[in-house]
Amino acid sequence: MNEQQLHDKLRATGLGGIGELESSARDPFVVVEASVLLEVMAFLRDDSETAMEMLHNVTAVQRETGFDVVYHLCSYSRHHSLTLKVIVAQPEGEAGDWEPAVPSVASVYPSANWHEREQWDLLGVRFNDHPDFRRIILPEEWIGHPLRKDYVYPSTFGEIPLELDAIPLYERDENDPPKPSEPRPAGTPLTQPPSEYSTRPDAGGRAPAPEKKGES
Amino acid sequence: MGLLNNTLPDNKLVGAVDTAVGWGRKSSVWPMTFGIACCAIEMMAVFAATFDLDRFGAGIPRATPRQSDLIIVPGTVNAKMAVRVRRLYDQMAEPRYVIAMGACVCGGGPYVKWGYNTVKGVHKIIPVDIFVPGCPPRPEALMDGILKLREKIGREAVFARRNEANTQMNAKYDAVS
Repeated sequence: MNEQQLHDKLRATGLGGIGELESSARDPFVVVEASVLLEVMAFLRDDSETAMEMLHNVTAVQRETGFDVVYHLCSYSRHHSLTLKVIVAQPEGEAGDWEPAVPSVASVYPSANWHEREQWDLLGVRFNDHPDFRRIILPEEWIGHPLRKDYVYPSTFGEIPLELDAIPLYERDENDPPKPSEPRPAGTPLTQPPSEYSTRPDAGGRAPAPEKKGES
Repeated sequence: MGLLNNTLPDNKLVGAVDTAVGWGRKSSVWPMTFGIACCAIEMMAVFAATFDLDRFGAGIPRATPRQSDLIIVPGTVNAKMAVRVRRLYDQMAEPRYVIAMGACVCGGGPYVKWGYNTVKGVHKIIPVDIFVPGCPPRPEALMDGILKLREKIGREAVFARRNEANTQMNAKYDAVS
């Protein structure tokens, strides 16, 4: 089945909250309300024609208006795939450390377990009723979620220095410990390499190539 | 070497003994079984038959830090791993040597700007003897680093007062005793 047929199939179930198929995207997706997410997933998995055996990716996107949580489903036996999106709008007056919450689909697809923990680790998306909800890679004591747009880069983790120009631990004077560096503005990276080595636009772009000699 | 460490005069006899001891030490550098990331694959190639580090007496990685002289740090050291690297280094018996292998370990590598949890070079955590740059370095580059380390170990004076640092250390020792 192609995406249009899958979408028709979903609509025919009578579940509310299933949006239109966005087929202009390279990876066509359907926007689904969070309230019916588990039912939609269970239907796509159990129906003999859709037969989505695998949830191979759960990811999230931070936008100015909130978060998109993206689920990539595919079927080995039917050779088709579908992308579902849950859009969580940021309520008015919420600060930048607002944490969106969606229901966990780990009860339908066990593979979602670690993917959802990764999204919590890096983007701070909460998944309700998750069986083991904690960070997956970063230490438990880590502050913040690093892929947020307004993330403040830390200069140290405990006593471990993270800056390029930090004084090595074994060269420090116990009586004269180095002063902690100033907290940097949100979104500012730890180091700014010289612009001629960087292709990043915020670092000034690549320096112009030197003119070749001997050519007129 | 206990009480005799760098306390004997620097004459030809002590120098000859030092050379012999240095040859023995540099020919039995025992690295630790330790790998973090992709550089560890190249390190394993160095230990294996094609490149055969055993020609230089450093071919059998030891399974515990307490038996090792050398820790090769192959791969990105992040904040969580840095605590472990530091602990492993502290568990090694002196004299101990460190080879930083790969761009990440030499100074952050591709994570130098946006790496929120990458330690920008393992020399922020433990003192490094040899830096081997590359992403990852070829096995020949790591072998060259180990040969450089062998030279360094062979030059070290065990018994003789040889360099300024040793002289100063012995002066302190004489003043106390």
